[in-house]
Amino acid sequence: MSDITLRTEPMTAEAIRKEEYRANNLKFATWLFLASEVVLFTMMIAGYILFRINEPEIVSRAHEGLSIILISANTIVLLASSWAMVMGLRDVKMDNLKGGFRWFMLTAGLGVLFLFGQYYEYMELAHLSVTLGVDTDALAGWGMRFYAPTFFHGAHVFVGVIWALLVARRTRRGDYNRYRTAGIEMFGLYWHFVDVAWIFLFTLIYLV
Amino acid sequence: MAAEETSIVQTDHAASDHADDHHDKTVIFGRTINMPVYTVVFGALGVLTILEVLLAELLGAPLHVPVLVGIAIVKAGLVMWFYMHLKDDSRLFAWAILVPAGIAMLSLFFLMSVPHTGY
Repeated sequence: MSDITLRTEPMTAEAIRKEEYRANNLKFATWLFLASEVVLFTMMIAGYILFRINEPEIVSRAHEGLSIILISANTIVLLASSWAMVMGLRDVKMDNLKGGFRWFMLTAGLGVLFLFGQYYEYMELAHLSVTLGVDTDALAGWGMRFYAPTFFHGAHVFVGVIWALLVARRTRRGDYNRYRTAGIEMFGLYWHFVDVAWIFLFTLIYLV
Repeated sequence: MAAEETSIVQTDHAASDHADDHHDKTVIFGRTINMPVYTVVFGALGVLTILEVLLAELLGAPLHVPVLVGIAIVKAGLVMWFYMHLKDDSRLFAWAILVPAGIAMLSLFFLMSVPHTGY
């Protein structure tokens, strides 16, 4: 790959200050968006926890069908993608756009790997007749409580992969520099939030 | 002040640049590790994940629930503190997520206290 050159003009002190204001406002907006996501995820987790409390035998049987090794490996993959993302931001903040581009591509790749792991898990559960239907589900309604939060999370990972590729593309085009990183940081907040959501899903659904 | 210059969030410039995270060395409990802080945090997250899985197998009810949830909170805290830069950014960001999370938790505990009615 050829060296990445900055497309932006050199920034004055005033321009840097304005960019910092802009970045802070955008990050605050992203945090508010994530706050609404907290409520959505909590609703789904609450549905699972209540089922878990009231139907412990069904959940114990369901756990026998889950591959904890696969899911643990998938969890490490998602944690690694968060690490790759923040390392990319670190590189861009040191004006190493080439390094940033590579880290963001790795972030997207690890996100795709996570989705493949989730797809494989769903196929395994489908073979055990774990479905969305309360009447047709072999585990009497567990499938609905399981698929809703995990698929909702998987959809977030899918969106994050697309966003990571867009950030990588803009990095390669030289749109960012050490002072202009608001776009990367907004994506980072989203991606790390997806990671935090999975940390709780992993513990509450697979381990407890 | 012009509209495009205003910000509802005020942070110190050096802090918002996350300059401390750009070093190749990390000091933990007085020991220097030749890795960026982000890599050290990733290592900690990996170790805690493996510990969680092992404890889930070893610990019996009811002890395993608070222990595993506690580890999950520590992991989430590490991600938010270091990767989401709450340690440097405005405290307003933290409150923006902690308030709805707290309300959601209270709602969850209330629902857990309601007797089972066959849902």
